[in-house]
Amino acid sequence: MGERRAPLALADLQATLYDLITAPEGATTRWAELGRGPSELESIVKPGARLSALERVEIYADMYFYRIRDVLQDEYKRLVAIVGSDAFHNLVTDYLIACRPSNASLREAGARLPAFLTKHPLAERHPPAPDLARLERLHLDLYDGPDTDTLTLDEVRALPPDAISALHLQAIPSHAVVQSGFTLSASWHALGAGEAQAPIGATPETLLVWRQGLEVNHRPVDVDEEPLLSMVRTGARLDQLCERLIESVPEERATERAFQIVGRWLADGLIAAHG
Amino acid sequence: MSAGEVLAHDTVMQEFAFLGHGIGLRPPHYAEVVADRPAVDWFEVITENFMVAGGNPRRVLRRVRESYPVVLHGVSLSLGSVDPLDEQYLKNLSGLAEETEPAWISDHLCWSSYGGHTGHDLWPLPLTEEALDHVARRVQAVQERLGRRILIENVSSYLEYAHSSMPEWEFLSALTERSDCGLLLDVNNIFVSAHNHGFDPASFLAGVPADRVKQIHLAGHRDEGTHLLDTHDHPVCAGVWSLYREAIRRFGRVSTLLERDDDIPPLSQVMAESRQAATIMAEVTNADAEPGAAHG
Repeated sequence: MGERRAPLALADLQATLYDLITAPEGATTRWAELGRGPSELESIVKPGARLSALERVEIYADMYFYRIRDVLQDEYKRLVAIVGSDAFHNLVTDYLIACRPSNASLREAGARLPAFLTKHPLAERHPPAPDLARLERLHLDLYDGPDTDTLTLDEVRALPPDAISALHLQAIPSHAVVQSGFTLSASWHALGAGEAQAPIGATPETLLVWRQGLEVNHRPVDVDEEPLLSMVRTGARLDQLCERLIESVPEERATERAFQIVGRWLADGLIAAHG
Repeated sequence: MSAGEVLAHDTVMQEFAFLGHGIGLRPPHYAEVVADRPAVDWFEVITENFMVAGGNPRRVLRRVRESYPVVLHGVSLSLGSVDPLDEQYLKNLSGLAEETEPAWISDHLCWSSYGGHTGHDLWPLPLTEEALDHVARRVQAVQERLGRRILIENVSSYLEYAHSSMPEWEFLSALTERSDCGLLLDVNNIFVSAHNHGFDPASFLAGVPADRVKQIHLAGHRDEGTHLLDTHDHPVCAGVWSLYREAIRRFGRVSTLLERDDDIPPLSQVMAESRQAATIMAEVTNADAEPGAAHG
């Protein structure tokens, strides 16, 4: 039997159990680290015929880790494909030490993994890993980001020419533009299918990530499109976009090119409807 | 208890209507539910999965709510934690409830956070006067904040505390009295905990106040050899069906929800299990057994 002690107050009990359950090395090792013998826990947790007090706490410790690991494994499928399951398991162990979940939603438990990965040794062995994780996270974040009605190409075509050039264009909130040092877009689908050997090129690219309807998409951004995207993030008129384009394309082509870019945005559902 | 006694007790907490037999709404079934509007009386959703800005989850919830009663079932209120109540969570819950107009809101008798961190699990509380006072105050605070009574669910547990001073059913009974909340009785959790801790599940059913039991959960579990684990990845087992029959004998017609969270089978299979629950209830209470009839 365990040593007789005064019952722990609720706060002390929760502190003790939280420490054991979330210990990266498991409850049994943690209890030993604290210099406590297995039977000492019996003053807190009842042992039974089939399970000791420590084994009972260990059930919760296992569930804590594996529940979160399984969710992250699902959220970061492509990252798992390039680093492998074992390395990912160890990454999650390290991550949970540094970034304990603090949001009520389990979906947020992995939100800090891409940033954490940038400083993790795994990133040295797999340089594209942090960028890939960031892109996977963006897909998840935008999947249930804010809803917005979008402006259609037909609605714009129906406007008189003066109104078109003065048209205020603002991107939907569920979009992002990200820079990557790697060509993630080319291997995205293969990695999603679990093809660990799908090569990731080392050519930098800028990606537009956005939700159209219920689907999150991404595509590489054209060089002359990139500054325009940052303008429509806060809102800009079509004539302002044309002026900006003159810095990168011949003046006589600026309007045509602006219409091409904006036409694509409208077709992709990237521009928010007015009022 | 006779049917007459059940009716007399039912004068308390009339805001919890009998909804019939429901199913936990899960992502693999979203498209089918929205497109086909299957004959299910009501749906329960995991609250936290819908505390998002927009996109498909909120769209599905709006569409489902157009055709069915919906119950918000939370896993993160952490009512037993010594941490302060999560104000942001309560604000989000309140907003979601305002938009969804759920039949009711429920969460668990457990703690799941400590020191500002969350464990994403349902950790059992010691069954002591101290814990009872603590939880009762927090349930009251949540109910005041939401402007409605909530239902509290018993959890499956794998450990008992050495200094617990009362059985779980006594704790729950006292909690309903002190905080004026209702009970969501998870029959599978009773079965699992009874096996793991060696108590008679019938004592649990007999020990909770019938007039406070407003919803029942049914689910499957896994036998790990040394203990049963509440996994929601199997069909409801014979022992849980038998305990459900006992529960209906004692509590009468109580809204019943079939949960499946892992290895989720086709919707038709989950609906078949839900119909099995309806049949049992009909056999015990001589009522209509057709799910979908309660809410067309």
